[in-house]
Amino acid sequence: MRESFVSIQDLTLKYQQKSVLKNLNWTINTGEQYVLFGESGSGKTSLAKIIAGLQSAIGEVKINFSNESDLPAEVLFVESWYQFKNLEGVANFYYQQRYTSQQAKDTLTVHAELVSYGKEKGLHLDQVEHILEALNFSSFASSQLIELSSGEHKKLQLVKALWLKPQLLIIDQPYTGLDAASRRNLNILLDEVAESGVQLILISNDTELPNSVNRFAEIKDGKISVSDSRVVTSVSAEKHLKEIPDFLKESPVYSSQDIVKMVDVNIIYGEKQVLKNINWEVKAGEKWLLQGHNGSGKSTLLSLVNGDHPQSYANELYLFGNRRGSGESIWDIKQHIGLISPEFHWYFDASATVWQSIASGFYDTVGLFQQLPYSKSQQVDELVAYFGLTENKNELLISLPLGKQRLVLLARTIIKNPELLILDEPCQGLDQQQTQHFNQLVDELCSNGMTLIYVGHFESQLPTCIEKRILLEKGEVKAVENLNIEILS
Amino acid sequence: MSNYFNTLPLREKLNQLGVCDFMESNEFLDGVSALKGKKLVIVGCGAQGLNQGLNLRDSGLDVSYTLRKEAIEGKRDSWKNATENNFKVGTYEELIPTADVVINLTPDKQHTAVVNAIMPLMKDGATLLYSHGFNIVEEGMQIRKDLTVIMVAPKCPGSEVRAEYVRGFGVPTLIAVHPENDPQGKGLAQAKAYAVGTGGHRAGVLKSSFVAEVKSDLMGEQTILCGLLQTGSILSFDKMVEKGIDAGYASKLVQYGVEVITEALKQGGITAMVDRLSNVAKIKAFEISEELKDIMRPLFQKHQDDIMSGEFSRIMMEDWANGDKNLLAWRAETGETAFEKTPAGDVKIGEQEYFDNYLLMVAFVRAGVELAFETMVQAGIKPESAYYESLHETPLIANTIARKKLFEMNRVISDTAEYGCYLFDQACKPLLADFMKKVDTDLVGKNFNEGKDGGVDNRKLIDVNEAIRSHEVEQIGATLRKAMTAMKAIKTA
Repeated sequence: MRESFVSIQDLTLKYQQKSVLKNLNWTINTGEQYVLFGESGSGKTSLAKIIAGLQSAIGEVKINFSNESDLPAEVLFVESWYQFKNLEGVANFYYQQRYTSQQAKDTLTVHAELVSYGKEKGLHLDQVEHILEALNFSSFASSQLIELSSGEHKKLQLVKALWLKPQLLIIDQPYTGLDAASRRNLNILLDEVAESGVQLILISNDTELPNSVNRFAEIKDGKISVSDSRVVTSVSAEKHLKEIPDFLKESPVYSSQDIVKMVDVNIIYGEKQVLKNINWEVKAGEKWLLQGHNGSGKSTLLSLVNGDHPQSYANELYLFGNRRGSGESIWDIKQHIGLISPEFHWYFDASATVWQSIASGFYDTVGLFQQLPYSKSQQVDELVAYFGLTENKNELLISLPLGKQRLVLLARTIIKNPELLILDEPCQGLDQQQTQHFNQLVDELCSNGMTLIYVGHFESQLPTCIEKRILLEKGEVKAVENLNIEILS
Repeated sequence: MSNYFNTLPLREKLNQLGVCDFMESNEFLDGVSALKGKKLVIVGCGAQGLNQGLNLRDSGLDVSYTLRKEAIEGKRDSWKNATENNFKVGTYEELIPTADVVINLTPDKQHTAVVNAIMPLMKDGATLLYSHGFNIVEEGMQIRKDLTVIMVAPKCPGSEVRAEYVRGFGVPTLIAVHPENDPQGKGLAQAKAYAVGTGGHRAGVLKSSFVAEVKSDLMGEQTILCGLLQTGSILSFDKMVEKGIDAGYASKLVQYGVEVITEALKQGGITAMVDRLSNVAKIKAFEISEELKDIMRPLFQKHQDDIMSGEFSRIMMEDWANGDKNLLAWRAETGETAFEKTPAGDVKIGEQEYFDNYLLMVAFVRAGVELAFETMVQAGIKPESAYYESLHETPLIANTIARKKLFEMNRVISDTAEYGCYLFDQACKPLLADFMKKVDTDLVGKNFNEGKDGGVDNRKLIDVNEAIRSHEVEQIGATLRKAMTAMKAIKTA
């Protein structure tokens, strides 16, 4: 009989009267490499936190660390949410901050962060080099933490975990925000650490997994069921039954047919060129896919469109028919746009309720600062119901599971039925069914003439309405092409 | 140059001290139009300069920066801040003559030199904007009669000014027009437009005067904001160590305690702060804060008197002329205190524990806020101004202590505030010597409720609640806080 490494007995967790985990039992034997999956809100993250000792619950969790192993006898839980602080210990950042150039350095560099982590954990810097290379992250050594995109922050968390090699490594959503090449290399690295004795629990609904994974645990109705292969719960292909609210069926009225026009746009910080001679035009009603590796300049490009980049003013850029810097305010621009991105979610106001978060989309603010007129508050209620969030509407956004938070912010993105939708990896944290439903909704909104710019790393999970693609590589336009979605999938 | 305030007849002194009007949001319906198409030139590109400029430009205004030749040629940080964010940068000679509004965001100490350099270059009928009135009021700077002189002062650090703007809100802001320099009567309209441009109108704008701003700002920063927090922190730390409390614990309690305690103050005034205590503890905190008020009242009054008479500015400017001898000596001393030298211990202190084990600081804060407020109001400053310069700013200063202790606080605040802080601290410590002898660890370091049954006399509790809640700072605070509810909490570990 194999020795059990983790043994969980009668674990029960309640969240606000609702049972999340119900007398859950789970035994993980030495050498078993797990993937933990389940619907959004099923309790995956809570369970992981309990195993890592970061959250308490009723029941028993025993971990038998090995005394013979060279690896540190600890559980490391890599959250899908990353947190960093500035040099003064404050985490009060805003999502546009990384585009502003400021000489007073607020945060550590990646290198300094790694040095301090290595010191804390007693690790050698020479052992991190090949991990940095494999994840294509070496060039970020001198970047400040505030300058990193969500995908890059994800990589930093992964680098630290793979470097530490704890006896039990739990990673929540290891692949979100990573491009295809990084996902493949991550799997190779995970196989390497598994080989050296690390036990893995990967929380993921993805299908491209490391070869070392040999067990699958599904969490459903508060209990775990284990198998040797993934039980494919068939995703119902049925059409979304609910009809979208009427106010979202109205076609947008465009003041100009030119939504975006960039002429030889360059973005430079000191010596570093992030965007180079970009030329791009988006016409009213077009549906674009924006692609490129992590760090290719996608978010910077979108920040120009959303009025968030300070260097917009020195570039030849036209938005909604007007030259940027001709006396418009950023709020004049934002009123045409519904935007979501991982960074936007990350920096969103933690003190807002679900209802307020959605309502704030009318004013493009992070948090709601004004009284809504009756007609608008009706629309918020309709959309809350449409997304199935009615029972959560007065809860704090931050108290919901990440997938639900994301749904709320997606509702916020479309609440004003904007002319232009900018969806930067909108479905991060959603399960497959939710992703499919959301993409159907996007298709439906776009059929009324809405303009779309969509960023997605997972090519199987895109709305079908997409008809054009712009591909960035190292800050330059690699390709602009018409495309048929079938080519991709 | 002579002190402007002292040249005024009493009637006019009272008149200017009493300018105070909390503006309604419908007074800002014109948006930025009074500044639309005008050339705004900012002098200096530090934290306030850069962040205000970013906001103004994002509000559709034409912003550029002017720096001293040496800063441009040496490619100093201020030059990099401005150019890398694609602002136009030029020397005084290049940009000032074209400016419709010149915004002076340099430190107090440089104001005389800066204004003397730019004034001859300014075009006829232009506007000069300050964010602090010291130069005009205390130094008596005379501005050319054709120029309009206004003030717009966001009541937060530069980084917050930007952070709140981009999320669609703003920070509370004070505006003023100098009555000696408003030849065309456009000052107020421009000040309001500037407040809209930086986002301040969403969080509440207080119309004040140069005189009221300076006299209340100096008073607040010297007494409750920096002076008392410094004195109270050092006395608390030393007392705990003297009584055998672990130094690491004491250091952590003092470093973070004031921030946790004043977070309650920020959200619900003194009432909310003392309501975090048990009934027995609240009565105790009330009693010792009454005692503290009696002890410190003469000192608060002396500070207010010296500020009103110009005596404070006179001695501080003497120190400026003396190469900041006193200031630098005091700053070095603060860096050497036992509190500063003892790192916060690796112990967990729960949020409620900061109240229960640090009752002395709750008493200090209540005494200091009420005394500063009362003394200002007695001196002719209006309650709204007094509120901003006492209660409102206390949590912001507490936040700097939580970051890196008193040395950090003194680094972040202006040199003027730092100078006043030391004057207060030196006079206050001896005053409190007898009081501190009686203080034991039940007031600081250990849970006051320990070993008590929690019973109180109904009548007494009602009286204490009544005294705290009916204080004028609570009445005015309730009104002003309504406008600021959306301000994001500043959180630290």
